[in-house]
Amino acid sequence: MLINLKAIYKYKNMVFYFTRSEIRNRYKGSILGVLWALLNPLFLLILYSFVFSFVMKVQITHYLLFLFAGLVPWLCFKSSILSSSGSIVGNGGLIKKIYFPREILIITSILGNFVNMFIGLLLIVPLLFIYKMGININYLFLPLIILIQFLFSLSIGLVISALTVFVRDLRQILDIIMMGLFYTTPIVYRSEMIPEKIKLLFRVNPIAIIIKSYQDIIYHGVVPDILSLTLLGIVSIILLFIAFKIFNRLNRWFAEHI
Amino acid sequence: MKSIVINNLSKKFTLSNRPKSLKDWLLLHDNKIKREYWALNNINVSINPGESIGVIGTNGSGKSTLLKIISKILYPTSGEIEINGTISSLLELGAGFKPDYTGRENVYLNGSILGLSKKEIDDKFESILEFSEIGDFIDQPVRTYSSGMYMRLAYSVAVSSIPDILLIDEILSVGDSKFKKKCINKIMELKQQGTTILLVSHSDSMVNKICDRLIWLDKGNLVMDGSSNEVMPCYKEKLNS
Ligand SMILES: Nc1ncnc2c1ncn2[C@@H]1O[C@H](COP(=O)(O)OP(=O)(O)O)[C@@H](O)[C@H]1O
Ligand SMILES: [Mg+2]
Repeated sequence: MLINLKAIYKYKNMVFYFTRSEIRNRYKGSILGVLWALLNPLFLLILYSFVFSFVMKVQITHYLLFLFAGLVPWLCFKSSILSSSGSIVGNGGLIKKIYFPREILIITSILGNFVNMFIGLLLIVPLLFIYKMGININYLFLPLIILIQFLFSLSIGLVISALTVFVRDLRQILDIIMMGLFYTTPIVYRSEMIPEKIKLLFRVNPIAIIIKSYQDIIYHGVVPDILSLTLLGIVSIILLFIAFKIFNRLNRWFAEHI
Repeated sequence: MKSIVINNLSKKFTLSNRPKSLKDWLLLHDNKIKREYWALNNINVSINPGESIGVIGTNGSGKSTLLKIISKILYPTSGEIEINGTISSLLELGAGFKPDYTGRENVYLNGSILGLSKKEIDDKFESILEFSEIGDFIDQPVRTYSSGMYMRLAYSVAVSSIPDILLIDEILSVGDSKFKKKCINKIMELKQQGTTILLVSHSDSMVNKICDRLIWLDKGNLVMDGSSNEVMPCYKEKLNS
């Protein structure tokens, strides 16, 4: 992993340029493009709150804000994993022709999704305005949570990107997994609603820990669960270590299998 | 210290007709026709710093594969390879160029893929621009470039730094003769500065001009390795027979 990090550091300029062109690609440099980063989560917010709050009558006050706190980071996690699935296979032209640390492709694709999330998080301004709420001191935890979320996404993304080279329909499989993960993570419902019997199952879901932290800060206005977060932070670093090992091993075959 | 040491290096390609899906892995019974091809067989080569070496052989003899293994794009199936120093590869020019970006943006993007910092590219920008002879077109999208301009810009970025090892694979076949001459001069300049050079070229005159030593590959086997005067006549004789 140290060798990987050193290589990435040496190529930091590439990380910068590739992330920038990723963002540029996504928004095509237009205001409308940036607006899209807001409209997409906004549309889902309205849709889900219609289904779960209006039709199914889920009893959560300020449902839009609750949904926002979980949905925006979830969308970022989901698209980080799905896009890293294509980041080696989709860059065959480069990989077959030039040497550079391949992990940069995954890092930049995930960074692009995080920038997208930062834009989506701006929706908090009108939401706080609607509910006549302010921000609180616990927002200071956000950078830490985002960092942990990044490390976790990166470790999964590295493995997924490499595996997709050898299992081409992994992307389709991931779509299904993500759907399952969405409904088994307390995003549209509160973790308190989960029956006691199966609560433990939800406790070990790393995404749930991250999502819950956002909800604690933004919706409940309380200090997030520091113990779980610290554990997840440590686990993420260990996972990253393993992910780099797997990635380096599979890297040898990339150029001839894509 | 040697610049490049290659020990018992072999490379096998497995040619399967389509990428695998989950089903193929789960069912395991692989009824696809699988062909194996050894592109390199037990190659042993040792190269000193500052040597300039031509790699010759007919099409499909494994020249590009060898250069790609040295530049860490491909990895050997067996054997070892040791490399000391920085590598600059001119294997496929313009890989990583984005058609919608301007020449200037592409110089920075491409430089970053080569591991250069923004400052390093800033410092080199003037000389890159001058060498490429692109002029005012530098701020136009490269999709408007002629293929010659495209090549010149890509080439200029690639040779803008002084590497310890320079790998060149048949890329000088494009471009006009004036620019070609300039490129050869640039390579000679790097050679004088002590850069190790590995050149694959179909132009005998270029090989003769640049290379002191030749490595002759045939169907993945090393046929001959020696000084140019020694190897070239044998190779010519074989070609004509
Ligand atoms: N990625 C690949 N997959 C399968 N076979 C390959 C691959 N790359 C090269 N080969 C095969 O290896 C042989 C050597 O190719 P190459 O090194 O490009 O030869 P040269 O550059 O000397 O013309 C060729 O027969 C080619 O078909
Ligand atoms: Mg070739």
